[in-house]
Amino acid sequence: MNDYQSVYLALSAILFGVGVLGVISRKDAIVVFLCIEIMLGAVNLAFVAFARANQSAEGLFMVMCIMAVAGAEAAIGLAIFVLLYRKTGTINIDKFNLLKW
Amino acid sequence: MELLGIVICGGAALACALLVILSKNTVHSALWMVGNCLALGVLFLFLNSQFLAILQVIVYAGAIMMFIIYAIMMLNLRVAAETDFRKSLFTGRFVVLFLFIICLLALGLGLSPTALKGGMGKIAMAQFGEVNLIANYIFVQGIAAFELVSVLLTAAVVGAVFLARKD
Repeated sequence: MNDYQSVYLALSAILFGVGVLGVISRKDAIVVFLCIEIMLGAVNLAFVAFARANQSAEGLFMVMCIMAVAGAEAAIGLAIFVLLYRKTGTINIDKFNLLKW
Repeated sequence: MELLGIVICGGAALACALLVILSKNTVHSALWMVGNCLALGVLFLFLNSQFLAILQVIVYAGAIMMFIIYAIMMLNLRVAAETDFRKSLFTGRFVVLFLFIICLLALGLGLSPTALKGGMGKIAMAQFGEVNLIANYIFVQGIAAFELVSVLLTAAVVGAVFLARKD
């Protein structure tokens, strides 16, 4: 029943850690965005592993919701990056310190 | 045998994730992210979730990553400077991360294992992950969340068009 559950959970935790490491260390906004996607993928893996362990469809539904949220986030986030690039000519996140021009 | 496959795919996912954060070129990061998504898709197959594996490949590796690469092409970026991980780790962000992990641990300790055991309907192992079971869940118990997701996606598209239009 619980075959290799801990392997999946350990992999999920390590992938999440890699994503967090990227978010706090990289300055490029798009790479930070990709690291957020890595974290979402890690959480998806944990959800599916738990869903199989519990024989439940709820985790699978949650993964689909997370995918939809990731798509919405990609649309809004990249629109914001394009806007900021037009205003400032860079997408270095250290340069973004204004909410309004 | 299954363990070998899990280790290979997990190692591929981990290596791709590390290459995402170590590549100097943003386009290379995005392409390694596609590899990470594909490796996760294979792991979903190992977890008996065929439908989610297909969704992972189509939605993540196909749609979202294509979208990100398209945005990178619009932005005309130069190769980033070398990132010094040792220097950039110990800044204010590190403190925030530390507090976040403390809060996460407190949350994990607060949620006892009994609190996590809800009334979950058991489904047969052979059928787990098949699309008719997921559809049955979505359109019976999860219908409200499903409709809200559609509203969210519409709002995201309208917001993205509003933000990115030239004024």
